[in-house]
Amino acid sequence: MLDTRRPGLVHACMAVLRRDLTLAWRQRGDMMLPVLYALIVTSLFPFALGPESALLRRIAGGAVLVTVLLAMLLALDAMFRSDIEDGSLEQLMLAPQPLALMMGMKILAHWLATALPLIVIAPLLAGMLHLPGAVMPVLLAALLLATPLLSLLGGILVALTAGTRRSGMLLALMLLPLCVPVVIFAAGALAAAQEGLPWIAPIAWLGAALVLAVVLAPLACAAALRIALDS
Amino acid sequence: MANWIPLWLHKLSSPPVFYRFAGVLRPWAIALAVLLGLVALYGGLVLAPPDYQQGDDYRIIFIHVPSAWMSLFIYGVMGVAAFIALVWRIKLAEVVAMASAPIGAAFTFITLVTGSLWGVRMWGTWWTWDARLTSELVLLFLYLGVIALYHSFEDRRQGARTAAFLALIGIVNVPIVHFSVVWWNTLHQGSTIKLLGPSTIAPGMVWPLLTMMVATKLYYVASLCSRARADLLALESGKDWVRQIAENEVRG
Repeated sequence: MLDTRRPGLVHACMAVLRRDLTLAWRQRGDMMLPVLYALIVTSLFPFALGPESALLRRIAGGAVLVTVLLAMLLALDAMFRSDIEDGSLEQLMLAPQPLALMMGMKILAHWLATALPLIVIAPLLAGMLHLPGAVMPVLLAALLLATPLLSLLGGILVALTAGTRRSGMLLALMLLPLCVPVVIFAAGALAAAQEGLPWIAPIAWLGAALVLAVVLAPLACAAALRIALDS
Repeated sequence: MANWIPLWLHKLSSPPVFYRFAGVLRPWAIALAVLLGLVALYGGLVLAPPDYQQGDDYRIIFIHVPSAWMSLFIYGVMGVAAFIALVWRIKLAEVVAMASAPIGAAFTFITLVTGSLWGVRMWGTWWTWDARLTSELVLLFLYLGVIALYHSFEDRRQGARTAAFLALIGIVNVPIVHFSVVWWNTLHQGSTIKLLGPSTIAPGMVWPLLTMMVATKLYYVASLCSRARADLLALESGKDWVRQIAENEVRG
């Protein structure tokens, strides 16, 4: 008799997550690149705009947001790259477990590996631009909600470009319309906090969007992957 | 019964039938578009009264407003075609969706250019981050994304299906962008800009506007026909009906 038992759903999810995190940890250098990039971009702002702290304080929130977004865009291209090259993505598509769940786990692993270091370093970036300390918790809250949203939206787009060879610029072009609302709400919360106004409403909108994206984006990602690799 | 309509539509979705149909439709559509466009231009530039505040500068709306309508209308057509292409895998729907994208992008571009030409005279600036302007710009980027994704695949059908999926994501995204941008703008500055509402427009200005709208729609139909014909020939280049057309071309 053949053993027809399959690994359970939770077990499979954990396996995908552990595998991706191990792969990311084995290449710690690559993980640090977005962080380094964000540091360099942030240190360029005072050079370009002048070292007046009043001006820097005014743009600090938005500058950190855009820097983190660009750093994530830099890493987005590599989300499924190695899995497509070594064929493990096709194996995942053939697996009996629902593809959407597996993609959700992969996106989670990618977020943990790229966005979390950026969030850890965000207070430093904000400090370099003299963001007031009182706004710092709002910045962290906005980033904690906005970066997974970007990872989820980016995951759909990366899946769409899975069948193409070069996709760096293309990803930026496709992500821009999708990230406009995210940037608006995150920056809106920061601006409100900096002016001493209530900032909970835009954060709540971000949270609502994140809940929606957590449910829908993995499904869309799986559908996009099936279309893009169907040949 | 009206059974012939679905039957006729079903037949029309076959590439050779659509190729002939589009070939017949195209010259009529382009002729009517040019005729109505000239009438609308004459009506708009000569017959319509000058605006009491803006003088003759407002006359750019006879290009600007129909282009803006078309930029949204064509995205809608593209979205419907993309949905049909993904659900029923009809080849013609893929072709129509992908042929619509460059036309829509062109209309969006015209809208932005004429808008900023008007803006520099009326508002004193080429560009302002108003909600409508920003949404239109995002719409242009959506079109460009669809076009770029389509061309980044070697297999055209796969490219078309993938880009169709992106177009559908865009349809969900357009209202979200619009409302978030409205929210963003009203937080920072009160709306100081009022576009001409349809109810406050003089009747002498309405009919050239509507005529131009019909003309741009007909132009879209004509352009879509010729683009879809070319795409169909390229896509079906191995088939018999294409070979017959090619042979007839050589002989004639």
